[in-house]
Amino acid sequence: MKKMVVLNETPRRTSKSFGINNIKIENFELPELKDFSNVNIETEVNIENTVHEFKPKFSIGEVLVNQIKDQANKKLYINIDKDIKKPIVIDFELDETQNTLVDNIVIRAEEGKKGTIILKYRTKNDDVQAFHNGVCNVKAKANADIKVIILNLLNQKSENYYSMNNKLEENANLEYVIADFGGSKTVTNYYSSLIGNTSNNTVNTMYLGKEQQLLDLNYIAEVYGKKANIDIEVYGALKDNAIKHFKGTIDFKTGCKKAVGNENEYCMLLSKKAKSKALPMLLCSEDDVQGNHSNSAGKIDEDKLYYIMTRGISKKEAQKLIVKAKFNNILNKIEDETLKNELIEIIDRKLDY
Amino acid sequence: MAKTQVDDINRSIYNIKNEDNYSFKMKKGLDESIVRQISKMKNEPKWMLECRLKGLEMFNKLDMPTWGPDLSCLNMDDISTYVRPKSNLNSSWNDVPEEIKNTFDLLGIPEAEKKSLAGVGAQYDSEVVYHSLQEDLLKKGVIYTDFETAVREHEEIVKEYFMKCVPAEDHKFVALHYAVWSGGSFVYVPKGVDVEIPLQSYFRLNSPESGQFEHTLIIVDEGANLHFIEGCSAPKYNKVNLHAGCVELFVKENARLRYSTIENWSKNMLNLNTKKVMVEKNGVIEWVTGSFGSRISMLYPMSILKGENAKMEYTGISFAGEGQNLDTGLKVVHGAKNTASVVSSKSISKSGGIATFRSNVIVAPEADGSKSNISCESLMLDDWSVSDTIPVSNIQTDDVEFSHEAKIGKISDEAIFYLMSRGLSEEEAKAMIVRGFASPISKELPVEYAAEMNNLINLELEGAIG
Repeated sequence: MKKMVVLNETPRRTSKSFGINNIKIENFELPELKDFSNVNIETEVNIENTVHEFKPKFSIGEVLVNQIKDQANKKLYINIDKDIKKPIVIDFELDETQNTLVDNIVIRAEEGKKGTIILKYRTKNDDVQAFHNGVCNVKAKANADIKVIILNLLNQKSENYYSMNNKLEENANLEYVIADFGGSKTVTNYYSSLIGNTSNNTVNTMYLGKEQQLLDLNYIAEVYGKKANIDIEVYGALKDNAIKHFKGTIDFKTGCKKAVGNENEYCMLLSKKAKSKALPMLLCSEDDVQGNHSNSAGKIDEDKLYYIMTRGISKKEAQKLIVKAKFNNILNKIEDETLKNELIEIIDRKLDY
Repeated sequence: MAKTQVDDINRSIYNIKNEDNYSFKMKKGLDESIVRQISKMKNEPKWMLECRLKGLEMFNKLDMPTWGPDLSCLNMDDISTYVRPKSNLNSSWNDVPEEIKNTFDLLGIPEAEKKSLAGVGAQYDSEVVYHSLQEDLLKKGVIYTDFETAVREHEEIVKEYFMKCVPAEDHKFVALHYAVWSGGSFVYVPKGVDVEIPLQSYFRLNSPESGQFEHTLIIVDEGANLHFIEGCSAPKYNKVNLHAGCVELFVKENARLRYSTIENWSKNMLNLNTKKVMVEKNGVIEWVTGSFGSRISMLYPMSILKGENAKMEYTGISFAGEGQNLDTGLKVVHGAKNTASVVSSKSISKSGGIATFRSNVIVAPEADGSKSNISCESLMLDDWSVSDTIPVSNIQTDDVEFSHEAKIGKISDEAIFYLMSRGLSEEEAKAMIVRGFASPISKELPVEYAAEMNNLINLELEGAIG
């Protein structure tokens, strides 16, 4: 039955008229689920197909969480109990017959263990109407060092709902690299709990919106540990009629002495009709912390464009170069050259008119 | 570790209570008969009564806000919406009743008038008791009166502008304001007139369990210039008092208005005030705000930049001490080409106080070439206070430069160490840093007010062990 659902609630409300407390999706309907087998896994560790329930503190929305809890058609439990050299790659491909994916992924990193996990969500072609609702739960035990790369490369016709829930213990290091490129609607909920002292969580996100795409990103980090560090960097570009809402919250809890939090959002507007809303919150109930946030929005610097164009490059190509240059820092965090080049190609294609 | 001890605001002058002497105090609560009675007592034209009834209707219809501080301590049935003091409107201080005069004397109002103001209005509970304006401004056509007189004597112009900037539908408390408004100021500055010396209105709420609902309407006509100051205070009672004033400002083409507020309500006051300005082509609005008092404040001056090249500047500081929840900030709508807004907001929280900054910047699709820069800084003086920053931006065109930055933290150890290496004691170093933190705001205030602010942040810094 089609109904309206309310997703991605912010931890603190603002006036309803600002239209950023949550995102309302009209005519929402959970699809019928079938088995999902189009997944390719490269791994050194054993991956099980059962997971434990998860109870996120800030969830993307009840209806989606319940779907994952009750009906996930792909469950993966990855226990990193040894250092892994080669990244674990889990590649989901949605096509005409397998166009619905509800995945529940749990990554548990044992004490002091290292590893990289790459999650790819792709559609086979531009015509597949896919539905994706997934969650990635990471529990990083003391001194673990984990990198998670999440690539949403779905086509423009798909719906994408994604949650990330993380818990960081003492001195754990968790790095996220996220590319949110696909989906007619992309709703992403990120929650990290920095419980351990000196734990460190960095998030680097790049997004691209075109045509009628709607992106709603809700990032929340709660800092409990002393000397903990959280860094959230979000860079994006919007063209055509794309709409983006970014909500980021760093919540310093009493007791997180000497913790540091930085949050930075930058939105490049490539069209007159693109719309950008942002709400970068800093909540603070501890004095001995450093919290900074900034966000900015605007079009690409005319001088830069002009300079590149005087070198004989078309305006469109010049725009692409500048956007890619902005993304470069994030792209460089992906070590695998083939994967990086694949992403650059996708960025080029998405920015083409 | 040594903690910076910043004393609470010294409130002794503000806390002087006069006996609750009044010539009339409305029964508590709010219903249509009360609204009609206020209107009748003021002998108002019919259209004004209709505005009031519209306000009442909206008040009953609108919900309480679903965000911000908890307002459950407010019960309208405990609030008297209209208290008439034992005084009529006077044009000489000598005619003001002794008791009321003493209060304003202690607050330094007549003194300030002599020295540095071109006009003064003083409101006590629900009615204005004193109003004056310098002779030469009168000759230039400047109008500065209490609002009731304006409704009587300048009815056409009031009718044209009243409720046009802030509609009753805006929110529940502005609807309440329209239902029961009383007192306030009306200012009209004619074309091209430069009012070089500021005008000031001072609002004092003495009566316990009552509300103050003054209406301020200022029109700065083409090419004119005005600095308007409002000050407010009240003694502390155990029961809740309510302030729901409304300020409607109109800045015409090429005009300039600076609106300064020093708000120092007592800590039983709910300050739910509404301020809004419409700025035409090349007009400039400057907001200077110091929020020190009240138990709960919800105050977000809104600027509609509707003409090309219109500009807004906001400079504000809030100081949240024990038991205070100050939720302040601003809203700005860039509605035309090449409009600009610059915001600098600071907050200090201590002893469990909650300081929240909220903002909403809207850049409309037609506002090409607009610029907006917002910066907020929060200083926390202990680990049981709270400081939140909740800024929203809504950008609907590409040709815009928008940036926002915010910082939260305590006084940096490095800065203290640096100053100490230059021969200052630790306490002096901290005092200097806190004063330096507040100085961009105090610089913007008239001298007397800057001095008052320094009094307010009475920085007796002791090296207490935290």
